[in-house]
Amino acid sequence: MNRRLARGAIAPRPRIHDTGRLATIIAIHVALILLVAIVLYPVLLVCKKAFEPGRHFALSASPIPDHLTTDHFKDLFGARGGHGELLFLRHALNSLIVALSTTVVGVVLSCTAAYALSRFRFPGRHAGLTTFLVVQMFPATLLLLPLYVILDKLGLLNSLAGLVLVYSTTAIPFCVWTLKGYFDTLPRELEEAARIDGASTWMIFRKIILPLARPGLAVTALFSFMTAWNEFIMASTFMTDESKYTLPVLIQSSVGQFSADWGLFAAGAVVTSIPVMIAFYVLQKYLVGGLTAGAVKG
Amino acid sequence: MKAFVVALALAACSPARESGVVLWHAYTGMERSALETTAANWNASHPETPLTLVAVPHDSFADKLTSAIPRGNGPDLFIFADDRIGAWAESHTIEPIEFWVDDARADRFSAPAMNALTFDGSLWGLPLATKSLVLYVRTDLVKTPPTTTDELIALAPMMKKQAGFAVAYANADLYGHAPWLHGFGGKVIDDDGSLAIATPEAAAAMAFARKLVADGVAPADAQGPMVASLFNAGKAATVLSGPWFITDIVKDVPWQVAPLPVISATGKPAAPFLGAESILMSAYARDKTAAFAVMDALTSDEAAIIRARDARQVVANPAAYADPQVARDPVLPVFRAQLEHTVPMPKVPAMRMVWTPYQNALGEVLAGRSDPGTQLLAVEREVEGYLKR
Amino acid sequence: MIGESATPPARVNRADSTSGTRVPVLQRQLRDFAVAAAIALLIATVAFVAVRNTELRARQTELAMRTAEALVDWRPPLPTVRGVFVSPALPSKKHPMLRHRRIHDYDSAWRPLGGLSMDPTHTDDKLFYDAATRFEQLPALEMVEMMRDGSGRAIAAKATCTGPKKNCNVAIALTSPASPAPFPWLVIIGVLGLGAAIAAAGALIGNTAARAGMFAGVAVLAVPTMLWHAWIAATAILVIGAAVALAQRIQLTDRFATGLSKNRAALSFVAPAGAAMLVLVAVPFAIGIFMGFYDHHAGTWTFVGIDNFVEILSGGGRPLDDALNFWFILGVTVLWTLCNIVLHVSIGVALALLLSRKWIAGRGIFRMLLILPWAIPNYITALMWKGMFNGQYGAFNSILRAVGLDGVDWFTSWANSFAPNVATNTWLGFPFMMIVALGALETIPRELYEAASVDGASSWQRFRHITLPHLRPALGPAVALGSIWTFNMFNVIYLVSAGKPGNSTNILVTDAYRWAFERGERYGMAAAYGTVIFLILLLWTVFGTRMVRRKGDE
Repeated sequence: MNRRLARGAIAPRPRIHDTGRLATIIAIHVALILLVAIVLYPVLLVCKKAFEPGRHFALSASPIPDHLTTDHFKDLFGARGGHGELLFLRHALNSLIVALSTTVVGVVLSCTAAYALSRFRFPGRHAGLTTFLVVQMFPATLLLLPLYVILDKLGLLNSLAGLVLVYSTTAIPFCVWTLKGYFDTLPRELEEAARIDGASTWMIFRKIILPLARPGLAVTALFSFMTAWNEFIMASTFMTDESKYTLPVLIQSSVGQFSADWGLFAAGAVVTSIPVMIAFYVLQKYLVGGLTAGAVKG
Repeated sequence: MKAFVVALALAACSPARESGVVLWHAYTGMERSALETTAANWNASHPETPLTLVAVPHDSFADKLTSAIPRGNGPDLFIFADDRIGAWAESHTIEPIEFWVDDARADRFSAPAMNALTFDGSLWGLPLATKSLVLYVRTDLVKTPPTTTDELIALAPMMKKQAGFAVAYANADLYGHAPWLHGFGGKVIDDDGSLAIATPEAAAAMAFARKLVADGVAPADAQGPMVASLFNAGKAATVLSGPWFITDIVKDVPWQVAPLPVISATGKPAAPFLGAESILMSAYARDKTAAFAVMDALTSDEAAIIRARDARQVVANPAAYADPQVARDPVLPVFRAQLEHTVPMPKVPAMRMVWTPYQNALGEVLAGRSDPGTQLLAVEREVEGYLKR
Repeated sequence: MIGESATPPARVNRADSTSGTRVPVLQRQLRDFAVAAAIALLIATVAFVAVRNTELRARQTELAMRTAEALVDWRPPLPTVRGVFVSPALPSKKHPMLRHRRIHDYDSAWRPLGGLSMDPTHTDDKLFYDAATRFEQLPALEMVEMMRDGSGRAIAAKATCTGPKKNCNVAIALTSPASPAPFPWLVIIGVLGLGAAIAAAGALIGNTAARAGMFAGVAVLAVPTMLWHAWIAATAILVIGAAVALAQRIQLTDRFATGLSKNRAALSFVAPAGAAMLVLVAVPFAIGIFMGFYDHHAGTWTFVGIDNFVEILSGGGRPLDDALNFWFILGVTVLWTLCNIVLHVSIGVALALLLSRKWIAGRGIFRMLLILPWAIPNYITALMWKGMFNGQYGAFNSILRAVGLDGVDWFTSWANSFAPNVATNTWLGFPFMMIVALGALETIPRELYEAASVDGASSWQRFRHITLPHLRPALGPAVALGSIWTFNMFNVIYLVSAGKPGNSTNILVTDAYRWAFERGERYGMAAAYGTVIFLILLLWTVFGTRMVRRKGDE
């Protein structure tokens, strides 16, 4: 095949007026639409439940609601806590603070470590890389009790800061691996040139590498945000004060074992998923590049 | 960036532990507001010992208590049913309170409620309300509530014509199945604390439940929401449920409550579990005298009247039923009458491990896939396996 | 070259010299002494804390016991100790769980013990009541212990008569609060200074004297621990002193210091993440592993060695098809992981192939919509799908009924419990593989395909020889990661099937969770489970990736 390439062969392009190709194209589009519909069906069901009255799912399977109501959203936004404060707003704020802080802390801690692991050879480098990989294998739910004891000793139980710390360390291994792979793909000539000019490592990192690494950083930030935004077991274990709960705890509690209010759940699910979807939409062009560049090379 | 750090710092500063008493509860709706009213009354009359209520989601409540209290991060008081008292007493998580309770105080409460809070010769809490199953009846479908199981089954042919059931209840759960179990003479834990699961009486009770499903008298594998939908849609003439069911009944459905029927086969009344919701004191409470004072006030007759009136709780203070508003409630006397025929929820730690295996066994038997005898033996074996150490 | 060293060339560092011996001897000695002294100080502090607590306990309990004995002999209690007599408990006739006692101080009259009293002299009444109750339950004739409220008080009880304890009054003594001895700052500072001086002096004299001085300097720190009778600590400090002196001899300390400063930049970059991981991952991890060697029951921890592990690996004495047998659950977990990964990869790659064609209209929108399952929090997904599989009103059964079939009784058999779990997790997991595959597909040059179709290759051959080799290096790590995530996927199993029927659809992580939180707080067992899970995954990562890499090299 390489010989053909060298001879500069011209390949045929799909000709639209060729009916065979046209049929294939239409078939593929239809298949895609069907697949998307199947994939989105559960989402549509939940959206339907959010706007339909009643605590339980209706018996029909169609994704179009029969009656519309905003009662569930009113219940969701209007729930008040023991001191009369608006619960949902409070929990959403908690979730936002925790998720954004986790993103900042996670990305900051990961990118420096990933850069060092990518560029420098130092004793303990291999051990460090292996550690970051191995750590992802320990199930977080089993670290729950030791973490509880440690946070207690540090006085960080029932505080958002404690939650941020725990989430950041959960997200770091994946972020370090992704970023390291991404840094590996960046050419070193720029850094070498800067070093000859006398720049310090920190300056090179800040002024040259970071701007180039935007896709990788975007993926890392998104992943850290999602880890914090979606986590509910640790949040419900470490937080005892109702005013410190995050959104997942609130939503999960509406479909408890004994009393399930699916309407409230659906409304909460819709509202909670929106920020993540917005983040996805904004960063989606980075996702494909940032996630795979490192994987392909590293 | 700076704003983040400030926000983080502010959010991270947990408020310093206030002086006074902290009480955790898992109430929602009417019960929550009634409790808050009684708490506000306390705070108005005792400003030097402020009472703070913290609402915790019900599902993780017990786990949170068990892990937080021994580390000193738990509340001073908390409201819970009585079924975990044994486990908590053994692990020194809760404090025995007979020190502060004299005869006069104990006389305030009904005997079954008091007995429910006794374990190992000590008293472990003050009761707020008792909960048990009763029979809910749709008065438009049933003229007089059935008093025996045969009468209940006799409703089936009429209901079947409308594609409905004579009775709907959470039959795959030990709690829902308990009335039949005790009515047939079976039990779960013996008086001396040993397992008494695999007995002929228990097998007879399971066979009875299976027959109800097989004959179309009761739906298979119904749970709370399903039971509510059936009752509201008129597809179930009667329902076995507890006080919480009242909020699930839709507005225009005519209903009344009645005591559970007598088992025709044995002549004994169907006896559900008695749950006593009570205030318990953490063994690590900082000021135990103040905590008891709060406990005492929240279970006083005045507070009981508020709860009976506003939240329709079946309060454990007999004196509360003399209040005219409470006396007018048609539901509460039925619950009180049912109290006579209840079996206290066993409190030994072994009980906690019985629920899930028993539920699986019921599932198998009700679906007709297995017979009661083998399933009960399997349950007993499984629970014994958990208790090995 | 960047990879070599992180030291900027401009700075002069004396440690960079050839063998390190040209570093001024004094500076070197003090540097090494500082490190050794820091470790020795840590050991000494731990020893001090342990010793002073023991010493406080001994002091207080002796006071309490002597007072209790004095009370029994009708002598007054020792000063600063409160002595009382508590009567046996008389159950009330009406309420047998209420036991009434009476109490009197040494020099006052009997009064009832109990009730809600706000008298300040009665604040310790509950303590006496509880102590009397505890004392009655013990077989011994006397009892002494420290109060668990951290106040440093000790309480002692002694029966005032021979014969059954429940008929006797009991004499109880309660000491005043006491705090343990404060940390001897001056002593420690003085000892540190002395040690540093000795080390420095040795360094100035000569080589051998330097090492002797180092050892002697650190040994001085062992003197306070010997005074406190903390022999283990003293020995440990002496060992450290000897070790550092020997390390100096083989120039280990110099090489270490040189290495540190050479890689200063790299290490400082890794340090923040490393420190966070150490405190919040390594430490809980180590604690988790240690917990596996203990058994937790009703608040007490007992060391049981490898009993937990033996119980797990032997299947708990249950037959192989019993859902609580470890190997059964392992089998379910492996099957779960396999099914999921196969489905994720095939669906993900198929969709990526579809979406990678540039002539598809609305590619961006399709891609955005297909990533949606990944964006939705997975606990919401799990609950959503659980609702869809509900027997009465779930969407699946509604659809089945709408086309005339019977609804399926979900979650009643292993198969119709396992399938919903897999369906849910597949819905969650394919976007990740799709994205990875998309990224890999985009790196394939168009010319390869065009050349291949000129050569007459069929689409299958094009796929096999061009697409697949490019996909493999990207999918390899993705599959490794994905398999780990799936293996440990707690939320889906716990929320969708909840292990039903029986416990048979549990995977290892959910079963471990149940040991901790649903089967009597067997935290030790759960921790052992976690360690076993981790080891399994470790083995898989090491051998599995080696295998995949070998296949990829072919």
